[in-house]
Amino acid sequence: MGARHAPDDLQGEKHALMSVMILRLAALLYAAAAASYVLFFARPRQVRAARAGLWLIAAAFVVHAVSIGFACNEFGGAEFFNLRGGFGMLGWIASGAFLLLQRFYPLPAAGAFVLPLVLIAVLPGFFGLGPDAPAAIPKSVRVPAIGVHVSTALGGVALFAIAFVVALMYLLQEREVKGKRFGALFSRLPSLASLDQLNQRLVRVGFAVYSVALVTGAVVAKNAWGSFWSWDPQQIASLVVWLLYGAMVQLRHVGVHGRRYALLTLAGFALVLTSMIAMGAVPQFTRHGGDFQ
Amino acid sequence: MSAVFLVGLSHHSASIAVRERVALEGDELKAALADLHSRQNVQEVMVVSTCNRVEVFVLADSAEPARRFFLDRAPEADGHLYELHASQAVRHLFRVAASLDSMVVGEQQILGQVKEAYGLASSAGTAGSLISRLCNRAFATAKRVRSETDIGRGASSVSQVAVELVEKIFGDLKGRAILLVGAGKMGALSAKALASLGADRVLVTNRSQQRALDLAAQTGGHARDWSELPKLLVEADVVIVSTGAPHFVITPELAHATMKARRHRSACYIDLAVPRNVDPRCANLDNVYAYDMDDLQKVVHATKDARAEEAIRAEAIVEAEVMAFFAEREARAALPVLAALRRRAEEIALAEAQRTLAQLGPKLDERGKKSVEAMARAIVNKLLHGPTARLKEAASSGDSALPGAAAELFGIENEVPGQAEDPADGSAPVVAVSEK
Repeated sequence: MGARHAPDDLQGEKHALMSVMILRLAALLYAAAAASYVLFFARPRQVRAARAGLWLIAAAFVVHAVSIGFACNEFGGAEFFNLRGGFGMLGWIASGAFLLLQRFYPLPAAGAFVLPLVLIAVLPGFFGLGPDAPAAIPKSVRVPAIGVHVSTALGGVALFAIAFVVALMYLLQEREVKGKRFGALFSRLPSLASLDQLNQRLVRVGFAVYSVALVTGAVVAKNAWGSFWSWDPQQIASLVVWLLYGAMVQLRHVGVHGRRYALLTLAGFALVLTSMIAMGAVPQFTRHGGDFQ
Repeated sequence: MSAVFLVGLSHHSASIAVRERVALEGDELKAALADLHSRQNVQEVMVVSTCNRVEVFVLADSAEPARRFFLDRAPEADGHLYELHASQAVRHLFRVAASLDSMVVGEQQILGQVKEAYGLASSAGTAGSLISRLCNRAFATAKRVRSETDIGRGASSVSQVAVELVEKIFGDLKGRAILLVGAGKMGALSAKALASLGADRVLVTNRSQQRALDLAAQTGGHARDWSELPKLLVEADVVIVSTGAPHFVITPELAHATMKARRHRSACYIDLAVPRNVDPRCANLDNVYAYDMDDLQKVVHATKDARAEEAIRAEAIVEAEVMAFFAEREARAALPVLAALRRRAEEIALAEAQRTLAQLGPKLDERGKKSVEAMARAIVNKLLHGPTARLKEAASSGDSALPGAAAELFGIENEVPGQAEDPADGSAPVVAVSEK
């Protein structure tokens, strides 16, 4: 038996190497982009560094996409259901969202904040697949809604991540402006009002996208587990996140601005991160992404 | 011999009382240019006249005409005049244009003012090729200084600091309101500066209704009654306070109630009064940004210090540009030597060719004649190729000895038209052309 399995394993190893190797290339590009953006932040005169960063992240995005394509071919998309793959995918979508943001709202100083986070998200994949290499996705979840569910869930979280970064920039700068210490951030970041507004928009769009993920998630759950709602920890966590961001969208209308709104954004993303890591790290805690039977 | 002279006075050397006696603009300035230009031996003139300086540049035999210009206008200017010559005058102009000699180092207006002075002189026909090249180099220097150093960075006055802070908090002020409380002079200045950020409304209030009306007219705002203050605070995003009151006009309680009514939209209080009118505890409230005179002054001082540091780098750029200016002049000075050398050689070659052709006479057809001439030219070119290259190189590296030596060696010194002195610098090469 073992002798017959060996070539298969070898084959699998080779395939795995392919997507992982391309992912490593993408990670290097992300690192280079992060370095140029940090350089730009340290020396705002180096406009070329920001431009180089933009090209590098665009290249990284494409290379990462190729890696994801290979991975899909190798595992049929199953690798995105573990923590490592999920974070890698999150990094990819976040960098895509960042590229889109630069297109409509050029804010190169944000690169110094976003890119290191993308790099951290992608980094686990840098070291290969590890022991929690994915199994195939069971048939019961292979419904059309799964694609929409996964992409909107990650898209929503990516938008929350960028909102988190913008809120962080707001708070850091607010501390300088209020404390009358006009340091490095003062000359490099846009006005507090525009950061606040950008944060609000990201939260709003992120909430809308996340809502779609919640609904399609329920559809997938119905197929896999037999009911739309089964008090799975993942479902509960998602609902809490959804409620929190929904509350933020509403609170805007009753006058939660600036500092408080930024703090809420930080709290929201902290919750997202904790739930993601908890669900992925504790085995058998949730049936989501693992045991679908 | 003519050279560049600069005679002038500025905020460094003379008080405003003297400066305003000699300052001039418009038609008066045009008349002065024409008058200076008509004096004996004055070839080119430019006058820079701003509220901080009046400086006369002349290309002339001496500084006397420029000096007279000042003394005719105001005899008391005598002790306050400075007189610079040749490279010192060039350096001074570059420093002025780069805003290194300004009262507020790094301010942006002066370059425009120098450009204006040059425009006026050239339209009046008093700026010749020397002043033109001098000014263009000065503008290029100023541009380099601005882009390669941080000399223009930061806010250099209290109202500018206020503008920067408000910009940092609100971006622009579109759709927002400014409220000016009290009739302090700084307040009106800052309100005007802030209104330039595109504020929708400027509201003005004061204990005395009449002063409020005056201020409203002055700042283009609307006067409101003092009793409306709490309501006005709710309406305004930026509040400038400068009353003569010896107590706090905006207390934390008032600010708290205001923020509640504003639904916690950000508000910025700029307190320009001494003693203060805004309780510093107001800054503890969320989304309230409060600054007093001390805070703003600190930024002004920090800017000054930073600019002083940048000025050191700027001076190095100016120095390099002054040297480049003279190197370029010397390169130009070498060109006439080259041209004369080439002309002389070609004359000789063609004359010899003609003589040869005349002797050969009918033995040569048209084609043969052309060949002989071509050969003569080719010999000249081959012979002069090396010297030409070396002369050009020497000229561009600022070596003035070689062109002079070449002129002497080939005996073409006397053929070069014009004076033998460089107008901008007394130590120019022996062979130079006039600025004509």
